[in-house]
Amino acid sequence: MPVFGAALNTVGLIFLTHAVYSTHEHTVAFAHTPLPLDITIELLVSILILSAGIVAASPQLKPIQWAKWAGKIEREGRHGEGKWTREGEEVLSEGDPFAFLGLGKGFGTNGEGRRGFWDVRGKRKEYANWVRAGGKQ
Amino acid sequence: MTHANLLTPPAQITPQTALALSQKAPPILSTSPTSPLPWPLSLLFSRETPETWTIHENLLFASLRTGDDASARQVLDRLTTRFGADNERIITLRGIYEEALAKDDKDLEKVFEGYEKVLKADPTNFGVRKRRVAVLKSLGRTADAITALTVLLENSPTDAEAWAELGELYASMGAWGQAIFCLEEVLLIMPNAWSAHAQLATLHYLSAPASLPPLTLSLRHFARSVELNDSYLRGYYGLKLISSKLIPLLSESTSVSKRNNNDDDDTPPPKLQSVKKLEELATSKLAEAIRQYSSGNKDWAGLDEAEVIAARELLDRDGKVER
Repeated sequence: MPVFGAALNTVGLIFLTHAVYSTHEHTVAFAHTPLPLDITIELLVSILILSAGIVAASPQLKPIQWAKWAGKIEREGRHGEGKWTREGEEVLSEGDPFAFLGLGKGFGTNGEGRRGFWDVRGKRKEYANWVRAGGKQ
Repeated sequence: MTHANLLTPPAQITPQTALALSQKAPPILSTSPTSPLPWPLSLLFSRETPETWTIHENLLFASLRTGDDASARQVLDRLTTRFGADNERIITLRGIYEEALAKDDKDLEKVFEGYEKVLKADPTNFGVRKRRVAVLKSLGRTADAITALTVLLENSPTDAEAWAELGELYASMGAWGQAIFCLEEVLLIMPNAWSAHAQLATLHYLSAPASLPPLTLSLRHFARSVELNDSYLRGYYGLKLISSKLIPLLSESTSVSKRNNNDDDDTPPPKLQSVKKLEELATSKLAEAIRQYSSGNKDWAGLDEAEVIAARELLDRDGKVER
């Protein structure tokens, strides 16, 4: 779809430029005659093509229903969208907006939610135990 | 599946991921994010972005977790020179750093006293107040942590994170009624949080796994959570579990239901038919999620593997043949 959109945009732009150029040349050459019909038609057609191209090249729409949108986040997870920060970290797509509540996975799970209450020593101990156990799965 | 990303760390960090995260410290620490030029020029030639500081903060957490205290100190110093030692968030981060370095409970008590001092100077520093609760929890003084948290919530009753934490603390002590109240407060603040609905439903179920009114409430909240998120595995799992418990209870109590209706007007039990329909719906949704996930469909790759396995076990236990 993006290739198709880009093609439409290119064709539309060429026609638009041509129509504008023709209009300019016409007004310079015959200052007091009305604009010929073919230039008007070319202009309108080019604008139609260009509009269609812009719509076709636009990114996919997001679901506007809450449940569909949330379901999409849940199913697809966070994935990269081809953008990186200066530090080399990939900018990920939108995730669960309620993850900060730390309620997603039930009780006793060691999630990363509720950062204000982050248990440094518990996490350190967990990591140290993992290293002592040989650092495997 | 869980790639180590410092900008948006995953919701669950295993030791491997933590190691991968903290190993990103040297390249990040080797280049300075702030410009060495004097003031007006430094504004023009600054290389920092808002993400820079999120990454630094996450790096601080990651290196503290893996015991890379030297890197943590360096990151903390950077943050302090950028935002000033009096910044509320920096005070909190420094507190976390000191907590991590505390060798025993005595050291931790000292950190705690430091927090008290900070709060005496500025009682509005909520980051530090939350750290106080975390330290109490870490010392094993859960009852004190709950008291501290209730005081915090009296002053700031719209803090959903604190309500959620209080709910978890109460639940860990088996005080289901209080935990349910806390989760209901979370829902008042964020009525669309599907995870809070699922958690509340879990609490109702755990509070009384075999009586009708709590199971009814649990069913309602699980139903709401899947209404808010149409691929929420945990919601469908709960829906199936609760409805399979409710169906025998309801078919037993159809004869006595009239009497039951009177003493609990708040939660009239659901109709047997609708519970059966809900169970069917949950079964089909779970089966679809399992099928899509195990066939490697890219649009379903974000599901949690452990949850998919649990769902498969639930369906297997049910004994029905799934396609």
